[in-house]
Amino acid sequence: MIELHQLTKRYGDKVAVDGISATIPPGVVTGFLGPNGAGKSTTMRVVLGLDRPTSGVALVNGRPYVDSRAPLAEVGALLDAKGTDGGRTARNHLLALGATVGVGPRRVDEVLGTVGLSHVAGKRTREFSLGMGQRLGIAAALLADPTVLLLDEPVNGLDLDGIQWIRALLAELAAEGRTVLLSSHLMSELELVADHLLVIGRGRILADMPIAEFIANASVGTVVVASPDAATLAPLLAGDGVTLTSTEAGTFEVRGRAADEIGDIAAAHGLRLHQLATHTGSLESAYMALTRDEVEYAGAVELHAPHAGTAQRSAA
Amino acid sequence: MTTTIPSPTAVLPEPRLVRHYRQSFGRVIRFEWIKFRTLRASWVGQALLVALLIGFSALAAAMSNNRMGDTGRAGRFAEMGPVAIVLTGANLGVLVVGVLGCILGAREYGSRMIASTVAAVPRRWQVVLSKAVVLTAVLLVSTLVGVFGAFFLGMSVLHSGGNHTAALGDPGVLRQVVGMAGYLTAAGLLGMGLGILLRSVAGSIGVLIAGLLVLPQLAGALLPASWDPALKYLPSSSAAAFTTIDRAGTDVLSSGAGAAVLVVWVLAVVGGAVWAISRRDV
Repeated sequence: MIELHQLTKRYGDKVAVDGISATIPPGVVTGFLGPNGAGKSTTMRVVLGLDRPTSGVALVNGRPYVDSRAPLAEVGALLDAKGTDGGRTARNHLLALGATVGVGPRRVDEVLGTVGLSHVAGKRTREFSLGMGQRLGIAAALLADPTVLLLDEPVNGLDLDGIQWIRALLAELAAEGRTVLLSSHLMSELELVADHLLVIGRGRILADMPIAEFIANASVGTVVVASPDAATLAPLLAGDGVTLTSTEAGTFEVRGRAADEIGDIAAAHGLRLHQLATHTGSLESAYMALTRDEVEYAGAVELHAPHAGTAQRSAA
Repeated sequence: MTTTIPSPTAVLPEPRLVRHYRQSFGRVIRFEWIKFRTLRASWVGQALLVALLIGFSALAAAMSNNRMGDTGRAGRFAEMGPVAIVLTGANLGVLVVGVLGCILGAREYGSRMIASTVAAVPRRWQVVLSKAVVLTAVLLVSTLVGVFGAFFLGMSVLHSGGNHTAALGDPGVLRQVVGMAGYLTAAGLLGMGLGILLRSVAGSIGVLIAGLLVLPQLAGALLPASWDPALKYLPSSSAAAFTTIDRAGTDVLSSGAGAAVLVVWVLAVVGGAVWAISRRDV
């Protein structure tokens, strides 16, 4: 269990994390979602005690992590896939880390097998690809069988095979009663693995809800209606909780009424329909809508735009 | 692919953690020892140190045999005592061991390994102190091998040339030889502390060389004579107090005081490293 109480971290004038409070419970996979620079890594660094909070506290299993008596068995973390000495072999890297809590060679070889690096265990890590570095980081995180896992962008650099593997692994770890927090800036990476979502933007928590709820909110779609009788049809569709938006003459978007309902109304009044299309909002677009005003670097939005596609407008 | 995490139970209780995985200072020392022995620089540096000490000893002793009475550059060996001749390599050895210390202190900042280290050992003072313990233990062995190797080889070369020699039993000689090993070890610790303080290999090497080699010369040349009493407290001058028999000048500490001053320097720099690493964000 991780608890954040009014956690704030400033670097000079810049507020990286702005008074966030949240509880990350054991037994589920919590996705930590936010654009680049939103404060995900900073939050994780503060939880691990790497950076000191400006104010507020972060507790791991009820205590600050720095007071942990068995650190690596309490929290396993992957923060930086390249955070190894390139001159050291993968196996020696893990042997050294394991020694801090009495983990020996047998367990090291076991986790190397778990992450699929046994064949390169004796290789210097400077020869590793990003994906291999990620796997080594995950091995280090799993080393002492920790109760809490903190993974910063663990999917980054993994191939498809690796992504499927880590999804299965995280689900299993959570099912064993561990606390699993993994961050990503891509909704698509989290929607299949996370049970719970914590969305952060500009250092503030924007959403803290089960992913099912997030999906339910997101899938309120719009119906695009094209009709030569639009001027007659539109007033008939109006009602409580229904909004109509016209984009061009003879075409409008309806929110708050299903397509079959609109079709029935049109038929009942003998009005012609040329197009009747439902656009369901995607999770990606719901996330974008949530963080639209919170993006630190405007360029990041452009990157997501293709994923959001035609449905982007619907969730706004 | 399947995982091999054993315990399929609910939230793991703390007693299990503490029983199997409790962190201790001994385990942190083991951590630093594994990191030390799995880096090539550790062994290259020590091999270079021993080779320098022994090689320069043989070379200087041979030059001293050949050029007795010369007034040229090599002639100065004739004016030096036999112990100073066989320990000539220590002048360069200080650099090698100091650089090794800087690398061991600062390298983790360059590779970003320091984040993994501090996450694994959140009580950060233990990181610095266990690095110091490992480095001291290892360097004491290699510097003692180096200085005694240099002593016996150099003396046998001097003896074969009919030159003056010294025995370990002669007054002050053992202190001087062992003291040199101590000074070299201290230089390694100073480098390590500076490396952690400055977080940069190049920066810490620069400061170390400036402090050990450049500053004493520069200060001696530029400062008025009234400053001389202060200069004897510089690390290199305090080391000279117990690594030489015939001391030049009057303003030199006694060998015991010199050793104490050098220990204070090491404690100050390593203590500064503890203070810095504990206060800083990684």
